[in-house]
Amino acid sequence: MKYTVPIGPIHPALKEPILLSCSVEGEKIVDVDVTASQNHRGIEWIGMNRNNPIQTLYVSERICGICNLCHPACLAMAVEEAADIEVPERAEYIRVIQGELERIHSHLLWAGVAAHELGFDTLLHYTWMIREKVMDILETVNGNRVTKAIMTYGGVRRDITKESIPKIQEMLTYYDQLFNKLAKLFLEDKTIKMRTRDIGILTKKDALQLAAAGPTTRASGVKKDVRQDTPYFAYPDFRVKALTPDIHTGKTVGDTYDRIVVRLLEVKQSVDIIKQALENLPAGEIISEPKIPKILNKIKKTSGEAIGRHEAPRGEDIHYVKLKEGDEHLYSWKVRAPTYSNIMSWKPMLLNHQIADIPIVAASIDPCISCTNRVIIVEEGSEKILTHNDLHHLSRKKTKEVRK
Amino acid sequence: MNLEEVIELLKGMAKKYRIQSKMAGVKKKVERKSLWIDVDRDKLLEIVQLVVDNSTEFPHFCVASTSDMGETVEVIYHFTINYGKPLEEVQINFKVNLPKKDLWIPTLTKIVPGTIFSERELHEMMGIEIKGLQDTRHLFLTTDFPKGVYPWRRDETGPKNLNKLYEGWKQ
Repeated sequence: MKYTVPIGPIHPALKEPILLSCSVEGEKIVDVDVTASQNHRGIEWIGMNRNNPIQTLYVSERICGICNLCHPACLAMAVEEAADIEVPERAEYIRVIQGELERIHSHLLWAGVAAHELGFDTLLHYTWMIREKVMDILETVNGNRVTKAIMTYGGVRRDITKESIPKIQEMLTYYDQLFNKLAKLFLEDKTIKMRTRDIGILTKKDALQLAAAGPTTRASGVKKDVRQDTPYFAYPDFRVKALTPDIHTGKTVGDTYDRIVVRLLEVKQSVDIIKQALENLPAGEIISEPKIPKILNKIKKTSGEAIGRHEAPRGEDIHYVKLKEGDEHLYSWKVRAPTYSNIMSWKPMLLNHQIADIPIVAASIDPCISCTNRVIIVEEGSEKILTHNDLHHLSRKKTKEVRK
Repeated sequence: MNLEEVIELLKGMAKKYRIQSKMAGVKKKVERKSLWIDVDRDKLLEIVQLVVDNSTEFPHFCVASTSDMGETVEVIYHFTINYGKPLEEVQINFKVNLPKKDLWIPTLTKIVPGTIFSERELHEMMGIEIKGLQDTRHLFLTTDFPKGVYPWRRDETGPKNLNKLYEGWKQ
């Protein structure tokens, strides 16, 4: 007997509320279908029809709350290439620092969520406690913890001051010292290993064909990282290498465990990049043209197109922009967030696993897990609603069982 | 394959091509290059297959973008190949122009399965018929989105009175 377990579709914290319909036979998942059409905000339409490019920059920041730097970064990069706008050296460095700060906070947030999905709440609280350190730094540097409004065409809007540099360095030392402890907690714990090893495997072939991005594809052994392949901003200075799990464990399986490994390694990598960037931070201006009307005028007089690609914490983010002379808006604007590509890999990951594995496997690509808020089990006409809590409870039960 | 080899391989099938570049880096300057190739609709499958056959790793499909150019609709497929080694990646953008009177494009899903979401999006947002695509459900727009309205169009089929698009909307 086959049942369909719909997971989703709506939650205010999710940028793309998603419905995941899993067909199950008993506890085994036999088919998965994703429906994304739950809440379309028409952000691209706004950029193409209503807002001027500067306003669009701030709208793009609101595409996603967690990675609120990547979308303006891609958009700025694409417009700067199309309209030939220069960026000062110091601004390129500050952009790198901001990008890496964002990666640290996003990966730690994810690690906490993953621990929670496994029923390991002490680890969730611990990870989120240490995440506060980077959030404090974001607040010190930007004046805001979340939407930072730091990117602009031709540079950044706020400098990293002399006073804040020692604070950032202190944060880096803090994370350096904690890395081994975190790695031990996440990677050597027997229960976490049992719940994630060989669960949700994405083979290298599937990862490539389904166009997976970021840590999801790197955990499957694809050495793909925009910072390495086509470096932008000041990244060429840092010789970033794409990290695959075999660096730490000696082998690549492509399962949930490997995705944890990759993200933890990337936290360390980000710490190193920020450290180097602070040491070599060039002096000078942070924006090439501070007058907004002048920038807008330049964009308005341009015809051209370009793509901007940035390695966001969740994977490669890409924007396509087309400008047409005389048009006050962006003529075309296409946004592709990493989750857009990564949700296609849910199907091969979930097939033949159990319902209790859905939370951790779905979370392992780092979407906004809040989509598992509400589940309805349809059983021959009568419906039973499983809340996020019930699902979570199932997941915890499995953890207890495997521990025995 | 480096950029020159890619151009050598593909230029026979391209209507025209150009390279766009922008500098990056502070101490170590590098040139970020992207290749823009105009192809005919009939040659699209062939040229993508050629790229798949000749690249070391399977090409990464980023996204398909589209613009309403008045009489025609422009579709661009963004690919990256040769990733994995620093600075050797090639960004390829295949540009296809489609007449509005005969608006269709063949599906790429048989060659690159990851194109399915983008093709469904092209179908719902621009009204392009994707020949050979089985799954033509809406991807981002709701199921009750009015028929014959395409959000990315700039002609009479584009959305007007946005707030009144749906039934049940109250002033």
